[in-house]
Amino acid sequence: MTRILFSSSLKMLTRDRQALFWAIVFPLIFMGVFKLFSGDSSGTTRLIVSVDATSERGRVLVDALGQVGFLNVTLTPGLDEDSARLLVQDDEGDAALVVSPAAPTTPANAVLLMGIRDPIGRQVTSAAIASVVDRVNLSLAKAPVPISMSTRPVEEKTTSFFQFVAPGILGMGLMNFATISLASSLSRYREEGVLRRIRATPLSPSYFFMSVLGAHLVITVVQVAVLTLVAQMLGADLFRDVSGLWAPLIAVCGTIVFLNLGVVVAGRVRGRGAVEGAANAITLPMMFLSGSFFPVSALPEAMQRVVQVLPLTHMLNALRGVTIEGESILKQWPSLLVMLGWTVVSFVVARIAFRLEDA
Amino acid sequence: MHGQTTDLVIEAHGLVKHYGAITALAGVSCEVRRGEIFGILGPNGAGKTTLVEVLEGLTRPTEGTARVLGVDVTEDPVAVKSRIGVQLQASSYHRYLTLREILELFGSFYPRHADALELLERVHLRERAGARISTLSGGMQQRFSIVAALVNEPELVFFDEPTAGLDPDARLDLWEIVRSVRDSGATVVLTTHYMEEAQALCDRVAFMNAGQIGALDTPAGLIRSLQAPYRVTATSVTPLSEAGVRGLPGADQVEMAVGPDGHIVRLRAPDAPGVTAALTALAAREGVRLVDLAVQPASLEDVFLRVTGRKLNG
Repeated sequence: MTRILFSSSLKMLTRDRQALFWAIVFPLIFMGVFKLFSGDSSGTTRLIVSVDATSERGRVLVDALGQVGFLNVTLTPGLDEDSARLLVQDDEGDAALVVSPAAPTTPANAVLLMGIRDPIGRQVTSAAIASVVDRVNLSLAKAPVPISMSTRPVEEKTTSFFQFVAPGILGMGLMNFATISLASSLSRYREEGVLRRIRATPLSPSYFFMSVLGAHLVITVVQVAVLTLVAQMLGADLFRDVSGLWAPLIAVCGTIVFLNLGVVVAGRVRGRGAVEGAANAITLPMMFLSGSFFPVSALPEAMQRVVQVLPLTHMLNALRGVTIEGESILKQWPSLLVMLGWTVVSFVVARIAFRLEDA
Repeated sequence: MHGQTTDLVIEAHGLVKHYGAITALAGVSCEVRRGEIFGILGPNGAGKTTLVEVLEGLTRPTEGTARVLGVDVTEDPVAVKSRIGVQLQASSYHRYLTLREILELFGSFYPRHADALELLERVHLRERAGARISTLSGGMQQRFSIVAALVNEPELVFFDEPTAGLDPDARLDLWEIVRSVRDSGATVVLTTHYMEEAQALCDRVAFMNAGQIGALDTPAGLIRSLQAPYRVTATSVTPLSEAGVRGLPGADQVEMAVGPDGHIVRLRAPDAPGVTAALTALAAREGVRLVDLAVQPASLEDVFLRVTGRKLNG
């Protein structure tokens, strides 16, 4: 009996194309879009350098520029400013550095031609090149260096925007599917009289209820698998540490809170349209406030305190902790504790709010 | 089982159900015999649905007892549910499952259940076994919802307005199916809005009004119980005297009117041959030529009017 009941619930979900769209396709679209916008693929600047590479000055400069990670240096000697400008305009390079020939003892004039349009990229590139030129000047002048500064990242590993956003999209997808789809299935079962019909059989209504919840959990596991795999393929680099293996478990456990919220909505709101609206009203603000796409720290301080109460915030904290931060699962205890609290409270409220006998 | 010791499949005594300030059932007692088709008729809000829900074990009565198949419904609703069949509206099935899958699913809830394809064969839906509910016509959906009530081979089946909204052909089709259910040995309890359906199908009929049973008998017995069961309509070119018409033996509810066909007299009478003879004699005495004289037997509609004081349809 339980096997047929469970497989029926699962069939109903997998044949509901709209539910599957929200569960899998919608988050995948988000991943694709954020991958495109995060600009990881164009993280290098193509720099055309025109300098006499046989001179000491030229050799040192090209060496120093080559050490800057994001510069892709092409040496094209013998250009003047105009011909270099034409190359940049034709998109042969993003910028060009033209050093006019000069005798070893006289200063050489250098011009930086900028083809980069976005202001941040422009500033970063020109500052980097200027600092390289300064260093080369100092070393060629054989002058003692008064202050030698080097930069080290505070975090061991750098994180790109896409890597930050990937766990956020996973959390968003799980939350949307759990809350909206469960609320809408339950209200449909009630409205179409399926619950009433089930109550007219000897089956215990709680069995039916558990089968619907169980089917949603199976889809959740599929969601976690597919979204994690695709994020990984797109370069999310989620498993930097063994603790990253906890991520799927955190995701599935966190989803239980959102399933409970779906039950509460289905129990308290009447009418399918109203139920879907109410479920969206819960998930939509959380999706933006809890840090799916932007860090919570970017919010005004008063707002941050409010956001610290939300379950998605803590689910994402814990997910990012064990994945992109490479922290241990134990370090996530404050977030895990809040999630546990939400699980207990939302379960109790769901039990009170949704009564199968109302069908 | 206790049920076998008696020929009564339902024994309800003094059922009362309050929903807040609303009284849905105000003391209902009735008995349903094994093997009959028992009809429950009544206007909306009469308490039909509540009575049926109590008997199905879906709703607890505020007062009173109901034994269904020998089992007290409030004490052991699960035992009752496993032996009865319930048909609700056609839409109360899963939209993403096929007919066969739904029957297999519902069958799995019962210790004993019939084969899904054989069930579909019974209502000529076998070739649609792989279809979903939404692709079926209204008549097919009703047939399916009837057969879905038979998955556990029940001893007692409840049909809730099985022909609501169907065209006459589909309705006759469904009547045949309901009769075949009774003929296969099950007892049928049927709620309906349609007088002719109750008259054609039911062995006994209960009229409900305001939470009570106003009348309960065979359709013929209910009609016989009316004091003036015949409806007489006479049409003449010149009018009959009103005193003469009112003086006809047993004449009741006399109406006189003028219509396009002439002067019309409508009345009710207990005895058809007597009143036609007296009416013809009256016309001859008064020198009035009768154009038309019609006598119709009473129907359940008339019983309904007497019980509720209003018309059922419309």
